[in-house]
Amino acid sequence: MSAAALATAPLERPRRSQFRMLLAQTRMNFVWYFWRDGEMIFWSLAIPVFFLVVFSFALGMGSAQRASAFLVPGLIAAQVFSSGFWGVGAMLATFREKKLLRRVYLTPLNPWTFFSALVLYRMTLLAMQATLLILAGALVFKVHVVGNPFAVLGILALGAATFVALGTVIGALVKTAESANNFASVLTVPLSFLSDAYIPINNFPAPVAHALRLLPSTQFVDAFRGIAIYGEPIWHYAGWMGALVLWMAGAIAVSARYFRWI
Amino acid sequence: MGTADAIVVDRLVKRYGDLTAVADISFSVRRGSIFGLLGRNGAGKTTTLESCIGLIAPTSGTVRVLGFDPADRRDLARLRPRMGVQLQATSLPEKATVGELLRLYGTYYGLRGNPASVASRVGLGDKLDRFAGKLSGGEQQRLALALALQHDPDVLFLDEPTSGMDVYGRHVLWREIGALRSSGKTMILTTHYIEEAEHLCDEICIVQTGKIVARDTPAALVARYGGDASIEFAARGFSVGAALAGLGRWAHDGDRYTLVARGEPGHALAKIVEYANALGVTIAALDLHRPSLEDAFLAITGERIEDPRSEAA
Ligand SMILES: Nc1ncnc2c1ncn2[C@@H]1O[C@H](COP(=O)(O)OP(=O)(O)OP(=O)(O)O)[C@@H](O)[C@H]1O
Ligand SMILES: [Mg+2]
Repeated sequence: MSAAALATAPLERPRRSQFRMLLAQTRMNFVWYFWRDGEMIFWSLAIPVFFLVVFSFALGMGSAQRASAFLVPGLIAAQVFSSGFWGVGAMLATFREKKLLRRVYLTPLNPWTFFSALVLYRMTLLAMQATLLILAGALVFKVHVVGNPFAVLGILALGAATFVALGTVIGALVKTAESANNFASVLTVPLSFLSDAYIPINNFPAPVAHALRLLPSTQFVDAFRGIAIYGEPIWHYAGWMGALVLWMAGAIAVSARYFRWI
Repeated sequence: MGTADAIVVDRLVKRYGDLTAVADISFSVRRGSIFGLLGRNGAGKTTTLESCIGLIAPTSGTVRVLGFDPADRRDLARLRPRMGVQLQATSLPEKATVGELLRLYGTYYGLRGNPASVASRVGLGDKLDRFAGKLSGGEQQRLALALALQHDPDVLFLDEPTSGMDVYGRHVLWREIGALRSSGKTMILTTHYIEEAEHLCDEICIVQTGKIVARDTPAALVARYGGDASIEFAARGFSVGAALAGLGRWAHDGDRYTLVARGEPGHALAKIVEYANALGVTIAALDLHRPSLEDAFLAITGERIEDPRSEAA
């Protein structure tokens, strides 16, 4: 295009809309970081279902169905941890290290829109993971989600928000992508084992189990499982949910203070 | 705000601990002109440029771009839609295609349209479906350029836009920059290709260890620092007569003669030819070397390419 063409081309320029950017960015995140990444598809969808099937038989809780009822919410919760720590926290550190954030920072895309699009992409993926695990549990082991759907979604959203906030603390405090990824793995994997997600912490000595119940991850897993699978009322867990809110607020405060886009 | 100047940098300083990357730089760029930052590696070009776009917070000094202060969050927000940027150090998502990136960046600026036209402007028209991570170095530069200019910004900041580009790519970029200039855009660019700066820039600033050491139009820099033109030729039976002695400094090596001309070399050349004709001598292998910006650059930055053999002697 020549200069003259440039000058006369009708510049169709609708108002910039952060909402439109959010949708477009979320869609591209999904395509770039999930759809075109075979390893990601495998680890985020196939592996949890594989774990569900194998662990349900291996866990030895009397019956595979009982084990599965324990594992479906536990595995979903583990995905919540990894969405936050790895999917959001370590990802942001990686974006920054690859100097990708500084390019985006120079465009009218609001940094918050960029952040929200990353979270929205991970939440879409989390919804897919949860649906897949719930379907597998129902079809293979006749495990059913009996809780009030609003209560189930509410506690899941609260947990996701808390662990996304905790994840951004990694993105804020850790300098390199490599150590952010290490932190994310070191948090996600042990927490999944120590927070009543993969194995019942009642198997540990009582004082240890008590101590582990102080972890926000354990509180989230138990609240989610109680509400979704055992049909307990949400107010049962009001205290723990309050604790999650405090963790989230603290994490947001730390991230807001230390997070650097560039 | 001075309406004639699109960019004003005033006493800019940037320190990293003990290291002073930029030590007191001031300049202004007229609206609609192209300003070139030249200097050796580590001179402070990128630091200066990135201070103009809000990526680097100056230690002291002020910057205004279109009247906005890029170090101020709100000003930067108003500036962003009006500036286009190509960074020296950045990356794009590897699994994103050229077309997707152009379209997504278009969304950032409220554009709706087909990325094909801007892609073909930079010579990526047939590469819309290629992954950014799989582009060659020069293709990545072209994509970065397309992302910098597709929203028709008023000011452009291009940090080494042609590094790694082939000759064709460089000419495409020159054409684009020429087109942008005639539509009234203001540009700052850095480059290590002196002939590129000479060709494109209305004004050039040479930076040395964080300070401006020269600043003028390319022609003025050449005239002031480039040294004299020289004429070289071979002519059997030639001798430097009295009529020629005043033209400048002569040297000869056998039949090869060199004149470092004082003043305009055209005049000297005419004299030499006239004199040779009168002697009945033929002039062969004639070279006229005019000082270039490169000569000026080397003179200004004080760089002498050391000849290792001369040290031994
Ligand atoms: N973040 C930083 N921390 C410490 N020193 C830095 C930093 N960024 C730049 N520098 C130093 O500041 C000086 C100027 O760097 P700058 O990148 O501005 O140079 P430049 O002129 O762009 O060089 P080049 O031609 O190699 O791109 C260099 O000595 C560099 O090492
Ligand atoms: Mg540089």
